[in-house]
Order: sequence, then C-alpha cells, then structure tokens
Amino acid sequence: MNQAAIVPEGAAVIADSVSKTFTQWQRKEGVKGIFRQQKKIVTALNDASFQIKKGEFVAYAGPNGAGKSTTMKLLSGMLSPTEGSISVLGMSPERDRIALMKRIGVLFGNRTELWWDHPVIQSFEWKKVVWNIPDEIYKRNLDRMKELLEIDGVQNTFARELSLGQRMRADLAMMLLHSPELVLLDEPTLGLDVVAKRQMIEFLKKINREDGVTILVTSHDMDDLEEMAQRIMMISKGQLAYDGDFDGLRRLTGNMTNFTVTTDGRRPELEGCRFLGGEHGVFEFEADLSCTSIQRLLEMLSRSDGIRDVEIRRVPIEQVIAGLYQSWKGEKV
Amino acid sequence: MVDKVSLKRYFKLLGIYARMDLASLMRDGKFMAIVMAADLVSNLSAVSGIFFLAWKFGGIGGMSRFEILFMLAYGNIVMGFLNMMGGCNALFPSRIIGRGQWEHMFIMPLPYGVQLTVGIFPFTGSGTFISGIALLIVAMCNLKISFAWWWPLLLIFQLAVSMVIVVSLSYLLSSLAFYAPVQCEEISSTVIYSIEQTMTFPLSGMPGYIKYPLLTLFPAGLTAWFPTMILLGKTVVFENIYPAIFALLAAFTAAHFFKKGFRYYVKKGINRYESGGHRS
Repeated sequence: MNQAAIVPEGAAVIADSVSKTFTQWQRKEGVKGIFRQQKKIVTALNDASFQIKKGEFVAYAGPNGAGKSTTMKLLSGMLSPTEGSISVLGMSPERDRIALMKRIGVLFGNRTELWWDHPVIQSFEWKKVVWNIPDEIYKRNLDRMKELLEIDGVQNTFARELSLGQRMRADLAMMLLHSPELVLLDEPTLGLDVVAKRQMIEFLKKINREDGVTILVTSHDMDDLEEMAQRIMMISKGQLAYDGDFDGLRRLTGNMTNFTVTTDGRRPELEGCRFLGGEHGVFEFEADLSCTSIQRLLEMLSRSDGIRDVEIRRVPIEQVIAGLYQSWKGEKV
Repeated sequence: MVDKVSLKRYFKLLGIYARMDLASLMRDGKFMAIVMAADLVSNLSAVSGIFFLAWKFGGIGGMSRFEILFMLAYGNIVMGFLNMMGGCNALFPSRIIGRGQWEHMFIMPLPYGVQLTVGIFPFTGSGTFISGIALLIVAMCNLKISFAWWWPLLLIFQLAVSMVIVVSLSYLLSSLAFYAPVQCEEISSTVIYSIEQTMTFPLSGMPGYIKYPLLTLFPAGLTAWFPTMILLGKTVVFENIYPAIFALLAAFTAAHFFKKGFRYYVKKGINRYESGGHRS
C-alpha cells in the first residue's frame, strides 16, 4: 500500500497498531541450564498507535526496557515491525530508507556518528558529501551550529579526544547539517553535566520554535522532558500508557501539590494533608488538590497559629512519574 | 530516482574517503613510517617463504621459480586490492554486524552496496597491492613468455573473478552473524585469513584429495594457483571457464543467504547491544 496516500495532512509520524517482538536466550542456573538453554519471546511494543504532528516537540518516556529505543529504531528503519505499519513524513522507513534519511536526523546518545579518529570538521565534511548537502545549505547550517552550539573551539579536535558534552554537541550539530524536518533523539542528555544539558535543551527548543523541526526525544530525566516538550507519550510494557500534556499527567496521579510551612516551632494540624517531614519550625506537606481545594488549604493555614511563611509548589514531575512507574509494576497495562 | 548514485557522485564519495585516509597517514611522520614499515615487512614475509623454497629447489611441483613468483604476486594483487577497497570493514561484514555498526549504515542516505564499496583506504591500505604489482612485473620479465595483446584483459578478468570468489565466501559465511552476532563476529576474518594463508601454496603436483577440495569446497586454489595456470597457458579451454562459473554461483549463493540474514536482522533485531558504538 502506498503510505503517502493515507497520511493525514500535517502528520510527521504515524504508528498504527505496531507490535515488535524479540527473542531472548534464557539460561537457568545449574548444569542443566548449560545444556537446556531456552528462547523467550519478549514483546517490546504491543499494538501501539500514535501520531505526531509536524512541528510538535514530543517527549517519549517509560521505565527501562519499556520499548523506547525499539520505537526509535522502528521509526528510523533500523528494525521492521512484527505487526502494524509505520509512516514517517509520509514514507515507509523500511521501503523508503534512502529518501527518508535525507529528511530526518537520528541521534542515539550512547553512540556517536562522528569519525572517531578524525577531527570534528572532517566528520562534517564527510557528512556533506554522503548526504549530498548543497554548499550554501552546508555553510549556512555550519555557521549556525558553530554559533548556537559553540563548537568553534572543538571543530579541529579529534572526536576521541572530546569530552562527553563536547561530543554530544558535535554529534547534534552534525545531525542537523542537512536541515532535517524530523529529529529522533534517544537519550541526548545522557551523562551530560548541568551546563551542557542546559545548552542542549535551549538549542532543541530553539530549532523547534524557530525552524519548525519536529522533535521526538526520549530521556529518563523527566524535568528535562517537561522543560523541552509540549506533549509526553509514556510507554509501559510495550503499550502507550499516557499521551497528553504534563499537567494532565499530574492530574492522573491526583493533582498532588507539595508545600512547606514555616512556623514558630509548632506543627500545624492540616486535615486531608499528608505530613512528609520536618523539624525546627519548617514542615513539609503533600496535598491532593483534587480532594482538598486550594481555598480550603489556605483557609486551614490561615486558622493555624504561629504560621510565618508558606511555599506551595507543584510536585516535581519526577515524583509523579516514579509513582506511575511503581503503580505500573504491579498491574497489567 | 532517489536510490541511484551517479558515477560523478560515486567518485566524489571515493574521494572523501581517500582524503580521510591520506589525512590519517599524514597525521605525523612517526605514524606514517610505522604504517609503511609494517606493510613492507608484512608483504615481504607473505611471499618470501614459498619463494625461497622455490628458489632453493628450482621450482615447486612442476612450476618454475618465476611462475611461483607470478602466483604469489597474483595473490598479493587480489588480497591487496580487496583490502584497499574494503576499508570500513566491507571485506569483513561479520564485524559490521557483530559490532552493531550496521546501525550507522541504516541512517546514511546511500544504498548499502555503495556504502560498502566507497570506504577505500588507498594510502594506508595499498602496500600489498603495490607490492603485488611490482612482483608481477618482476615475474613477467623473467618468465620469457610472449603475451598476446588480449592477455592483460584476461589478467584483469581473472583477478576480478578471484576477488568475487573471496568476497562471496566472506559474505556467505558472514550471513551467519545475523543470527549469532557475538559468536560469528570474526567469522569473515577467519575466512579471509584462511584464504590468504592457503592461496599462496602451489597445488601443481599435489594429490587429488588435496587439490580438488581446494578448488571446490574451500576454493583457495581458485584465488591464485588456478588463475596462474590459466594465465600461463597451462590449462585447457574447458578448465579456463571454471573459476568464472564458480564465482557466479558463489556470488548468487552469498547474495541469497546474506539477504535472508539481513531480513532476519531487521525483523528480529540484533541480540547484542553495544553500550557505545563509534565509527572507526
């Protein structure tokens, strides 16, 4: 079937009932296990369907082994689905690999596309020839990458001698040299320090906002994802467990809010709020705003004696997601 | 069509790899000297043992000293050219599969065939090829045979046939790496090094139970000795076409099993995940 004919206007990625299974060797303990090794079927994706519109910045999250990297490999044509169909920019990653690779960029945080024994600029020039990038586009993109990613100082350094942060920036720059319309990033902030991470996040937001590049990014750092993306797709046990915005994700777990109360030393009694800990007049509480309204909470605080200060903040997204992962562990999604 | 690569672009691709290879060679004088010295020692040792034996005994198995040298030179040209053209492990596909490097190839907008043939090492990898040509000239000057005008074409044809046989064997056995990437990562190097070790031995005068397996089951004899016999006019017409037919069958068989393995790879995924891959 011609995928291009069924792709809705404005869709960058369509995954329709995609399943992917792998076989894994299993070896039991003891001598018997050496002679009786068994194959186990592992379902990495199970009937997953989703769409990503052009220009969207989507986070893709899930616990270890949930199927995130498998999805990235399926979208970039490195694997083919066991069942279902995938369309990326109106093309099939399997059948139209060459045409598709000219229009998308793929970066896996745990591997580099740079030539290890050559300076960074050599890898860029290699990419220009292999991707057949016209001179003016190459020059324009290279100048922009130098400015935004600050790779001027490392462009003549051999890739093997770069720090992780420099290497990731160089890899990111190289991936964008051919002006991809869609970028697939698997753990791009893996192992980066705070400064390098900030640079990476700001840069990705900028190319999404200014150039309209569609971005799908996976990461275990949920705060990073929340800062970058407008939408989050969460996968668990191969199935899409949540698809929506981050506020919706918070509401899913009960719209939890944390607040700190500073008093003259007395601990306030707040009905419906869970005491998390504290001493010397500084106490931490958690409240579910879907059960206890903010008005009710403020009313209780105003009636309490000895209150000096109150700081209310949303529960960190990490905490929300950790709660979700824990709940998924115990149930079949 | 998007998938087609024009000849001009193909040469441009060869050019960038050649430039990168030259840059590697020229990185520093010490490195350059080590590469060249290592190549020289390796090439001399590869041919000297058998040639000294031939020199000492006035030839081996009915082949004269310079016929032996011709065969050794032929073998050097075959393996030298393949090593020069097969940079980026193109001659050792099981390494590409076993090390998870095929994932770099998936995301390049080039047909796999082009990717595997443009990664040349013309500077750091040409030692064997150049020494092969030099030895061939020495052998031909001393053979005192008059060569017909079409003989150079026959030489090129036989060289191509021999190379197809070597590459086919490597790809045929490497297709196993799609199913067992860890165990079979180095299977292609085993194949290539076994051929290199065996091809330089003259099979003239050897008993059938040694000669025929080396012309059929493990066809190292078709990569230097048998073509030498053809080129020196020591075979009959029917025998002359045997290497070409063998090469054709080997190429089709290798292509069939390699494609089958590749389909398995993308369907099932590779059961080995490198924590950090890089181009090398």
